[in-house]
Amino acid sequence: MAIKQGGFSRKSKTSDEIPSSSLADIAFLLLIFFMVTTVFRTDQDREITWPSAEATEKIDEKAKNILNIWVERSGGIFINDQPYTMDQVSEVVGPLYAQSDRRLVISIRGDREVPYMTMDQLQKELVSAGVVRVVFATELEQRMTRQRR
Amino acid sequence: MAVLNNKKSKVSDEVPTSSMADIAFLLLIFFLVTTVFPKDKGLAIVLPEESETVEVNQKNILHIVIQPTGIVEVRRGESQQVQQVSANEIEGIWRQDVASNPNLIAGVKTHPDAPYKFMIDVLDALQTAGADKISLQVLEN
Repeated sequence: MAIKQGGFSRKSKTSDEIPSSSLADIAFLLLIFFMVTTVFRTDQDREITWPSAEATEKIDEKAKNILNIWVERSGGIFINDQPYTMDQVSEVVGPLYAQSDRRLVISIRGDREVPYMTMDQLQKELVSAGVVRVVFATELEQRMTRQRR
Repeated sequence: MAVLNNKKSKVSDEVPTSSMADIAFLLLIFFLVTTVFPKDKGLAIVLPEESETVEVNQKNILHIVIQPTGIVEVRRGESQQVQQVSANEIEGIWRQDVASNPNLIAGVKTHPDAPYKFMIDVLDALQTAGADKISLQVLEN
């Protein structure tokens, strides 16, 4: 049982480098995690054609304080993915407005072809719900396209 | 020169994976940086509070009537003269009129059957011109 060469000659098989092969897995895991968990909007977009306006400005309010009211071309009204009739709007918006500490901003997302009658009724409903700040959601229009029209 | 192919190739037979992490991190950072959360935008107005009616002197009102065809009729205060214009001419009219009367209020009356976009066009022109006293009504007849 003689130990060959005194037993000190074998080099350690453990690498002296930090193992980096799993780093890619970690990075991809993070990538996929963020891609999956990112939520862009709470309610679904409805089929509308946006009206366009040159004076379009960003709403200076947190996203959670903005309530979208969708008005489809057919006149259907949707709040938080739920269809409502015109008379129900103030009943739905009123409590939400009180909950938000009167900070709620209503974003009216109407199709450009909706008759103004509907919009007027909607505004009256919002007034009776006590809402003050309203935004007509529009797309930004460039001056160039305006001139061509 | 006599011996060929007796040296073993030093090239590894594995796919190099050391740069994979760099690629993944690059993608991660790229998406983190380029993701833009769509911000809500539009034309902001302030609705009047319920039962809040203000008497306004007729001469301080610029009547703007929007017809279903998109034709805009402008009438100044008490005068009966009606001027037919297109929506983007409102901007110039407002600038001109507000210079002579700083208390001017825009009374926008839209025909019930007029598409919403015509009202937006007029509201857009007024806001571009810097108007802040705007009243939105429906045309009643």
